[in-house]
Amino acid sequence: MSRLAAAGLLLALFSSAAASAAPAPDATEIVRRADQHLRGSTGYAEYTMKLVRPGWSRELTLKSWSKGTREALILIESPARDRGMSFLKLGNEVWSWIPSVERVVKIPPSMMTQAWMGSDFTNDDLVKESSLVNDYTQTLVGDTAIAGRACWKIRMIPRPEAAVVWGKVLIWITKQDDLEMRLEYFDEDGALVNVLEMTEIRMMGGRLLPTVLTMSPRDEPGNHTVLTYRDARFDQPIADSFFSEQNMKRVR
Amino acid sequence: MKLIVVLAWRNLWRNRRRSLLSMSSVVFAVLIALSTRSMQLGFYARTIHNVVSFYTGYLQVHAHGYMDRQELDNSFADPDSVAALAERVPHVTLAAPRLESFALLSSDSTTDGARIVGVDPVREDRLTGLRGKLVSGRYLAPGDAGILLGSELARHLQVAPGDTLVALGAGYHAATAAGRFVVAGTLTFPIPELNTSTAWVSLPAAQAFYAAPGRATSLAVMLDDERALPGATAALRARLGRGYDVETWKTIMPEMVQYIQLDNAGGVLMLLLVYVVIGFGILGTVLTMTLERTREFGVLIAVGMKRRVLGGVVLLESVLLALQGALLGMLLAVPLLLALAAHPIVLTGQAAEALRGYGFEPILPFSLQGSIFLSQTTAVLAIALVAAAVPLVRIRRLDPVTAMRRGV
Repeated sequence: MSRLAAAGLLLALFSSAAASAAPAPDATEIVRRADQHLRGSTGYAEYTMKLVRPGWSRELTLKSWSKGTREALILIESPARDRGMSFLKLGNEVWSWIPSVERVVKIPPSMMTQAWMGSDFTNDDLVKESSLVNDYTQTLVGDTAIAGRACWKIRMIPRPEAAVVWGKVLIWITKQDDLEMRLEYFDEDGALVNVLEMTEIRMMGGRLLPTVLTMSPRDEPGNHTVLTYRDARFDQPIADSFFSEQNMKRVR
Repeated sequence: MKLIVVLAWRNLWRNRRRSLLSMSSVVFAVLIALSTRSMQLGFYARTIHNVVSFYTGYLQVHAHGYMDRQELDNSFADPDSVAALAERVPHVTLAAPRLESFALLSSDSTTDGARIVGVDPVREDRLTGLRGKLVSGRYLAPGDAGILLGSELARHLQVAPGDTLVALGAGYHAATAAGRFVVAGTLTFPIPELNTSTAWVSLPAAQAFYAAPGRATSLAVMLDDERALPGATAALRARLGRGYDVETWKTIMPEMVQYIQLDNAGGVLMLLLVYVVIGFGILGTVLTMTLERTREFGVLIAVGMKRRVLGGVVLLESVLLALQGALLGMLLAVPLLLALAAHPIVLTGQAAEALRGYGFEPILPFSLQGSIFLSQTTAVLAIALVAAAVPLVRIRRLDPVTAMRRGV
């Protein structure tokens, strides 16, 4: 799930895709490279988040800024009722600015596992730093093609000391360009819980990116959340003071 | 046959005092059995009424599926129409719409999770007596922008009437729920959950806060009589159709049903003890009567009366006595129970304190349920008829010579 924090909401960036011609099939190295490709100096994105539920759906438009793995800011632009709400992530903590009540609220630990803005992502997904490299033991288990792209399939088992809720994560990474294409999250009993799929790969902000991310919980067949990127920019300087309580109230 | 009836009738009035004494034992038996059961059933009905008046109501109407997933997304539209429809069902006295979910309440100093319930202040007061629970501040007016807090919740948040709270949560269809409420008053309940984690706002305020205009999660329904529950449930289900679920307090509070079943088992045991006492009382008078008349039985058999005919006469005497006694007992019980139902026994001392602690009136109410007249009178009649077997056995075994000479 931690990957979502980077790949999904906070928009990670993909490193300069200097053709990774070396096909050394070391699983840890593949994951590390894909992960590193998501870590730029800074990232900025505009996207929509659509919650799909049986009988209704809801669409939000958002902007996000990130710097490294520890700092991020998300601003909600629509719907009108939620316009101006912002979320600030500093390290492992998340604050929320709610303009209608003019209050900054720290999201309490007990609410971290709850849905973020009613979506299939949790508050925890916002906070967790990318830990696919450090918190898991990676094993290459095969190669398949997804949407015509040759991919490595890698099994990741959490390290005993890691604070991870999953029992197993499967990840598919393209052999070229180091793009994550699909993640499957399993619980400790080995049952599939969530599937994250990346589609619509195209150039955005000067990089090759999957521009649509779909999160589908398996126990609720009618539910899914779709993130669609409209714009992205990378490596533009952002001051540290940008990620502050003062700024989350006035950022536009 | 006619002879048997005439003889039995004459025998009864031949020794008027003995007959009246036997009859009175039946009369008192009926009175005691009836008032015992009436008190037990009255107590249960009262307890149920008290408990459903805390919060749930006798019945609740929800959108279909709400009980499995108690979420705002499982709310229903236009609660006023649903309430009006429910209030046209016979025995329904009141239907109070609510919109409730959980949210965070923040004061300047601290934050606490609470169930924020949107209510119609007037109906809610009639249903739960909410206004009477007020310990500080004022009650809600319809369309009020204020919030009422359980006293423990207010203490934890360190707020008093006039202070402002910020509420945050998830609204209908994943909208953000954010709002400011001024504390109108604080309430104290005998139930910890209501004290520590419940807050009340007016229905329109809750609808605005939860982004659920014109919606409600439940409709609490009160009845004038607990016994109307099955009928009212069926009528509501029929009128509302498939989009709604109608739950009784029994499915909402299964632990309460178990408590009453357990207590009722004790009550039935007590009733059985009463029957045993009644049985021995009647047996005593029948035995005395049989002994008194042993000489008479001996003479009758000696002069040629068939034992079967004599047995029939005595049995009929018993039946007539028991029937008259039961009838008289019922006639006496009706005004007694009517009086006790209208003016229940008021408890004092520790029992009264315990009941008051739960917000109950410390009284022993009596039930006027018609079925107990039939069941208890039948039970006493059965006991009386079993006791009538005593003289029958004696007549069968009687040796007329010994009976006439020594009276045994």
